Amino acid sequence: MNLMEVVVDGFADVRAHAGRTVLQTLGVVLGVASVVATMGMTAGGKQQSLKYYAESGGILKVFAWPRPVEKVRASAREQASRGMTLDDVEAIRASIPGFDLVEPEVGRSLLVRSPRLSRSYRVTGVSPTYADLHELIVERGRFITPEDISNHTAVCVLGADRAQEFFGSENPVGKGLRIGDHYFRVAGVLLYREFYWNRSENYNALGWMNELVVLPATTMLARQVGAGERKVDQIGLRLASLEELKDAVPALKRLLATRHGAEDFQVFSRQERMQEMEKQGQVYDITFEVCGLISLIVGGIVVANIMMASFTERMREVGVRKALGAKGWHIGVQFLMEVAIVSGLGGAVGLVLGIGLVHAIASMLGQPAALTPSMVLGALACSTFVGAFFGPYPAWKAARLDPVVALRYE
Amino acid sequence: MSQPLIALTELWKTYDTGEIAVHALQGVDLVVRRGEYVAIMGPSGSGKSTLMHILGCLDTPSKGSYLLDGEEVANLSRGRLAELRNRFIGFVFQAYNLLPRATLQRNVELPLLYGGVEREERRRRATAILEHIGLVDRARHLPGQLSGGQRQRAAVARSLVTNPALLLADEPTGNLDQATGGEVMALFDELNRDGQTVILVTHDPQVAAHARRVVRLVDGRVATDEERQAA
Repeated sequence: MNLMEVVVDGFADVRAHAGRTVLQTLGVVLGVASVVATMGMTAGGKQQSLKYYAESGGILKVFAWPRPVEKVRASAREQASRGMTLDDVEAIRASIPGFDLVEPEVGRSLLVRSPRLSRSYRVTGVSPTYADLHELIVERGRFITPEDISNHTAVCVLGADRAQEFFGSENPVGKGLRIGDHYFRVAGVLLYREFYWNRSENYNALGWMNELVVLPATTMLARQVGAGERKVDQIGLRLASLEELKDAVPALKRLLATRHGAEDFQVFSRQERMQEMEKQGQVYDITFEVCGLISLIVGGIVVANIMMASFTERMREVGVRKALGAKGWHIGVQFLMEVAIVSGLGGAVGLVLGIGLVHAIASMLGQPAALTPSMVLGALACSTFVGAFFGPYPAWKAARLDPVVALRYE
Repeated sequence: MSQPLIALTELWKTYDTGEIAVHALQGVDLVVRRGEYVAIMGPSGSGKSTLMHILGCLDTPSKGSYLLDGEEVANLSRGRLAELRNRFIGFVFQAYNLLPRATLQRNVELPLLYGGVEREERRRRATAILEHIGLVDRARHLPGQLSGGQRQRAAVARSLVTNPALLLADEPTGNLDQATGGEVMALFDELNRDGQTVILVTHDPQVAAHARRVVRLVDGRVATDEERQAA
């Protein structure tokens, strides 16, 4: 029939009661905005973790460290522990194909000397694929090459901060540096890297990359540590793919336990850490989401309140309309139009306000803000919920209203 | 003789308030023919409001028969009653009851909207009736911007726009002063002279004096029913 006409009339009616509509819309706006804001904050935190992991080698990284043994409680086997060795590295490479990179790290604190500065720093012996494991980026020169390894070349690669300290604004590549008792040539300098979890804590999580002084692993063993030494500080590994996690990490633990005859090591997997964080995060998520939901319910009650208040105020008007020949559905459509406009408008404005809020809070805390499709869906779902929950009842009541009762209402 | 517009036979209206049943109408018989000008009078509680609601198809009787233009109204559905109100009846209320946030034009068009009349036709007919009533220059105004007399005349325009068989006015001068009340009554007189059936519900003898027939209700029954010469 003339549904379109009645809808248009309903729209005109909403416009005529702009003040009431604005108040109701505000209720939805606040509810939706707080839901979006809480969703945005939690999403922002998660994205931050993912970003950090991506910048520092991805979630495929796995580490194995020797575990310090408590002397008193340790078993004889544990006390006899020799830690991790190059033999372990070879065994892993040979028997666990789930890791595509297996990187031993051997470090010593050594005196490093240039014409400008002389200071003790931790110097690490690594292989060429060390850069792949940690996603190190070379800014000038080159990283350690396979030739360096086979020739025991006397070269080093410096992190950005170290290069600055020892050579200032000069280009260090090709220049000489004394490390321990030997002379080394600088082969490359790494790109300056930074990552802040939040601005208020002034901690650069990628700062260690800027402080690296690395040598070819073979050179390190031969010249600095002593040729017979097979002990390594830690082993960094990379999973060939995420599917390998389930088998490769337990296999690694079994292999080390069998070889050492004791639990004298720790294995740390980023993927497992992520899952743990996810679990912990869920608790916070639920807390946040309950807070958002409460504001949404408050918003919904605001809408319902104004709806009911205006309902009594409009009873007489409904009576008049019915006296003029309005049928129940005419009145019902008119009421539903109002709720549809209120919840639609409230959802849209609430979404924008919520995103603004996320950005404001994020910049205050120095954390990145995140906008995810689920936020848009969430806002949509929230406003639809308010509309669907608080709309039809008053509309139905108004449609059913007895005209005599409605007209008599003062 | 042609079929009467309204024929009430043994009409009862009982309100069940829970403990006691209140009989607002107790067997009303009334016939109104086309072109009549009737005043329904009676003290408070005599049942005249109830009678008006039933005549206006806003309410249905508990017992008895109400033939409107030959159709039995007593047992119709809400939707059908709404259609009858829209087609047959024009209401004028004491408190004007114009929608306060709609212009006169929209107020007057409203019954046509509910009657399913096309937009252009609505506009044309509303403008014509506002012109007839002398308010066409106020079509874009809101009711609050008009005087009481103008508002009531606008309400009359709205009641007439569907060309109803019956104009039903409930204390139409109750909120007006003597002079403007007189203007509104003159409008009813003129409409009736042109053949419009008018029923006034009032307790004011001066208003009732405009009608050519006065029906008095007492305790839910017709006490007197007098025809008289046109004033």
